[in-house]
Amino acid sequence: MNARAVTSDVLLGIVPIALVIALWQAIAAFGYAPASLLPAPGLVFTRLARQLVTSEFQYEIGVTLFRLFAGFSIAVVLGVGIGLAAAVNPAVNSVVRPIVRVLAPLPKVALYPALLLLLGFDHASKITLVAADALFPILLATYYGASMVEQKLIWSAMAAGTPRRQILFKVVLPAAVPSILTGCRIGLVISCIVVFLAEMITSTDGLGHLLVTAARTFQAVDMFVPLITISLLGLILNGLLEGLRTYLLRGFPEV
Amino acid sequence: MIKVRAILSRLAPLFACIGLLGIWQVASLILNTDSFPSALDAIRAIPSILGDKEALINILASLRRMAVGFSIAVAVSIPLGLLMGRSRGVASFFNPLLMVIYPVPKAALMPIIMLWLGVGDIAKTLVIFLGVSLPVIYHGFQGAKAVEEKMLWSGAAMGLSAAQRMVRIVLPAALPEILTGCRTGLVLALITMVTSEMIARQSGAGNILFNALDMGQYDTVFAMIIIIGAMGIGLDAAFENMRERLVRWSEPRFDLPLSFS
Repeated sequence: MNARAVTSDVLLGIVPIALVIALWQAIAAFGYAPASLLPAPGLVFTRLARQLVTSEFQYEIGVTLFRLFAGFSIAVVLGVGIGLAAAVNPAVNSVVRPIVRVLAPLPKVALYPALLLLLGFDHASKITLVAADALFPILLATYYGASMVEQKLIWSAMAAGTPRRQILFKVVLPAAVPSILTGCRIGLVISCIVVFLAEMITSTDGLGHLLVTAARTFQAVDMFVPLITISLLGLILNGLLEGLRTYLLRGFPEV
Repeated sequence: MIKVRAILSRLAPLFACIGLLGIWQVASLILNTDSFPSALDAIRAIPSILGDKEALINILASLRRMAVGFSIAVAVSIPLGLLMGRSRGVASFFNPLLMVIYPVPKAALMPIIMLWLGVGDIAKTLVIFLGVSLPVIYHGFQGAKAVEEKMLWSGAAMGLSAAQRMVRIVLPAALPEILTGCRTGLVLALITMVTSEMIARQSGAGNILFNALDMGQYDTVFAMIIIIGAMGIGLDAAFENMRERLVRWSEPRFDLPLSFS
């Protein structure tokens, strides 16, 4: 791919986003929709810029980010751990497999009322929900990555004198890293979505709560601001993970 | 012996269900609080919900919205995904837009969509549509991109037009991948359905669940969780069954869902 093709791709990609914003602006400007239903994009982005520097808004973002990272970290630790164990050990596999088959398609949001009743209305219930939702993509990706490790690699490591217990960390885990990172990426987006929803359902702080309060008072501009913020957060976190991926996988052939 | 093992592995998910319910039962007996009824109590509350005509109509209305939203999303997303996979221009046109939309919680759009379209079926179906489309587009895109060029060349050499190649070569070749996307979409449809109804408290399964929570009817809360969970597991199993039949020719795949994005 030469540089010119890449630039034209980027330009082509900006077109639909620009079109959407232009359409939005046009609908608002020509009065097809009253400002109370669809505020002009300029208005929304100015409000966003003004909100971003206030300490209250930063506090809400902080609360949301804390829940997001707490839940996501638990999901990564559990997902990678259980996924590796299930891929390596047949006994663990035969227990984990049916449980995952049952729990993975379960809509986790429906569990939220139960978590509320058990863990209270504070951080714990939201973090658990985020962890439960992000767990399965990471677990499954780890499992597939680890069980697809080429047998030859393991044999070579054993021939080179690697002790059996070290093979897991020296061969299987590194070989599964690309797959694990893909799972983490999916899990991260899910975490963003779920933390927002949980805050919308019951919360006294966080971005989701901001949206709900704005919706109750019909402040259309304030409804768009938290939504755009969470999408931006998602994009930034995704970009960071992508950077981590290129750093971690710098020695791997074409990924 | 082989037969016994096959039957055992078929029944394994059932054992898992029973085991999880057992853990629940024991945990509730140990904790022994009003807000955490035992598994048996919750199961006992199910018939009274399903027997109630209004609740049944609510749940069926939920399922209808889900079916409509899911079908429209699949009908739109598969052609779009395939086109994106085969044409670089289309892909670079839509990719950034989809990337921006991806991390937006679709159900969180509900309050805004409600402002425009009201609390009725249209708003909820639209949200389900948005939730389902992205994974299906993405998997269709991946599937179409991976089609072997040689097959397309052979098709072209035998005189198939571009549209015919799309339908007779690309679509079947990408089908396993597309169906994986649809499976993810199906679970997402259920999730968005529950959340949208919880935000627009008017009708549906999500409404029953969260109203019961607000009114402190804990048996009903947990019974509804079982019902919605069973819907998820049942729909997923049914879809998997169909998928296996449709793409039996493809390489043997894992029986676990590959992605739950």
